[in-house]
Amino acid sequence: MIEVILVIIVTLIASILTLLQEDLLKVAILSGISAVGIAVLFQILLAPDVALTQAIVGGAITPVFIALAIKKTQRMEGE
Amino acid sequence: MNYLIPLMVIFPIFAALLINLFGKHNKTIKILSFIVAIILPLITLFASYGLHFFGGHKPLIDTNITGLPTYITSTNLYSMHPAITYSFTPLTKVFIFIMCIIVFLSVFSYLTSEKKASGSFLFLVFMGTAAVSAMILSDDLFNMYVFFEIAALVQTGIVIASKAEDNYETALKYMILGSIGGPMLLLGITILLAITGSVNITDIAIIISTVLIKSPISKAVVLFSFALILFGWLYASGFPPFHVIKSSLYSKSESYGSSILQAMSLLTLVAFLIAMARMFYLINIFNGAILIVSIIAMILGVSMAVMQTDFRRMIAYLSVGELGFVGLGFGLGTKFSMTAGLFQGINEMIVTALLFLGLGSVVYLTNTSNIRKLGGLISKSESMAIMVLLGGFAMAGVPPFNGFRSKFMIIHAALLAGYPEVAVIAILISIATFFVFVKALHGIYLKPQPNDLEFVHDSIPKSVIFSVAVLTIMCLILGLYPEIVTVPISQALGGLII
Amino acid sequence: MMISTQLLCLFAAGALIIIGLFAAIFIDNIIKKVVGLSFIEEGVNLFIICLTYKEGGIVPILAPGMNVNWFAQNAAYPLPQALVLTSIVIGASTLAVILALTMFLYKKYGSLSAHEILNNKYDMGDEE
Repeated sequence: MIEVILVIIVTLIASILTLLQEDLLKVAILSGISAVGIAVLFQILLAPDVALTQAIVGGAITPVFIALAIKKTQRMEGE
Repeated sequence: MNYLIPLMVIFPIFAALLINLFGKHNKTIKILSFIVAIILPLITLFASYGLHFFGGHKPLIDTNITGLPTYITSTNLYSMHPAITYSFTPLTKVFIFIMCIIVFLSVFSYLTSEKKASGSFLFLVFMGTAAVSAMILSDDLFNMYVFFEIAALVQTGIVIASKAEDNYETALKYMILGSIGGPMLLLGITILLAITGSVNITDIAIIISTVLIKSPISKAVVLFSFALILFGWLYASGFPPFHVIKSSLYSKSESYGSSILQAMSLLTLVAFLIAMARMFYLINIFNGAILIVSIIAMILGVSMAVMQTDFRRMIAYLSVGELGFVGLGFGLGTKFSMTAGLFQGINEMIVTALLFLGLGSVVYLTNTSNIRKLGGLISKSESMAIMVLLGGFAMAGVPPFNGFRSKFMIIHAALLAGYPEVAVIAILISIATFFVFVKALHGIYLKPQPNDLEFVHDSIPKSVIFSVAVLTIMCLILGLYPEIVTVPISQALGGLII
Repeated sequence: MMISTQLLCLFAAGALIIIGLFAAIFIDNIIKKVVGLSFIEEGVNLFIICLTYKEGGIVPILAPGMNVNWFAQNAAYPLPQALVLTSIVIGASTLAVILALTMFLYKKYGSLSAHEILNNKYDMGDEE
């Protein structure tokens, strides 16, 4: 039970922190952390195949997409 | 021939991929897409009615397995659909056939009026055809959701592929709104899955009407999922609050694209509306919610259309207003009114395609769509001007065209159902539509030609005139013999809505 | 009241959806908006997976030699898990399209502000 609560807290805090960053690269990384947290929750909820997909797509591919978009645009939010 | 039913979805997807493969060879994709566009309506014509179970997994009640225990045979489990089911009825036949005709005419005019055909545009067109056909065929909510997302991506893609200015902004806006609407729809479907254990619409309808409606708690859950699905439906079909983005979507694409886009959103609307009516018709606020949304859509559509100076946006808003009539038919809740609403949907699809293609020729000639800069175009092509005028009459509901028949049926149904106010609103909206249309037509064709008007092309391609003529004839035929469409629709509705 | 794993995860899913909706509606920066949209997707996915969970159950994979009846009684519900796989892929592709559009529009406007890019200038009818 305690590990579930811990994972949920990490996920939610990571997702809230994502939205508070000025540096958009940190946004990409923190969104990856929250996606991996959700993947762990999937594993706990007896869905290992979904957890694998979520870890790859949400934890690696999506942050890379966002990071690429930031590289082509701007890194700081308020420029 | 039941195996033609999945072919209606698989064939256009396969053709789209093939066309994308040959994207660089101009001549090849032109011939290929022309052939595909001819075959598409033929498949619909030759397929026979019935159900198709993917993987052959029939419900247990239809198989000859004997000796099952009583805890299966005595419960809903016995008649549950385990596979994705496509059901092909006269209703779906009419809608998919007309959609395919519109796709054929649009692709035909596209191929002949553009020197270089774009492989990605044709890919999107056929992918969209497959998506909306699947949506209206499918009896499976999750399958509908997947194709809903594909249709949203395709609509964005068609806008991106056009040459209109500000199209990327519109596409981005539509995608962002879609990323809110899509998950909400999925959430609604999931809640239904959680309380019924199935994503098949027939199963859900039986379980809701026999069990869930009886207890107030489960009824509240059903109501919540109805609200979420309604939100997704509003987004997909361009009802308020999404009418602005939907109509800018239509006006930011090429005329061939917009005629397909509006047909796509109409089929999405009809597919989800029928699904919702089958599942939620026993919930007492279902009819009221659809009715209110439709009336708001009608009023907002026409009143925003009055203010426009860009005729493409004007037609786009008018078509959103016309969609309100379709919802009105379902909101009134009788079988007659639903038939009228679906008939109006078919007419709307044909007439709006006619207007987008016909007025697209104006953009082709002058490269502008601002009414103030235009005028005197009747000298270029009298036949096109007359056909567009007739199309406008059909949209506003002037006899003997199809719009008159369906609007008359809706008003009649409103009076029969005891809503004279709705009938009055519908008549007023029709008059306003007529007024808006006459104003636009005067500005484009009859007003003296401004001196600074420059022409890009000298004449309209024959193929566009042919396409518009075919659509006009279809309007006239449906106006004179509405039984061609209304009889199959009312037959199919009798079986669908319990 | 007993707090179960399922209830906690449902709460997390609801919180994620609300955080995502907040970001999508109120935050101006498009990249952050997009991240918020992906949170909505992930929240909905988590919600679906929560429905399949069975307290003390097993993973719905039938290993050889397992008793089928026992498996059917104890396994989690596999249908929604299959649906979520599709949903994750759809979410990723939608996100890719939005980011590509954002990159293109950045070249035109030089800004990532949704207010500057998506203002309603062409929704009012007349531009002149």
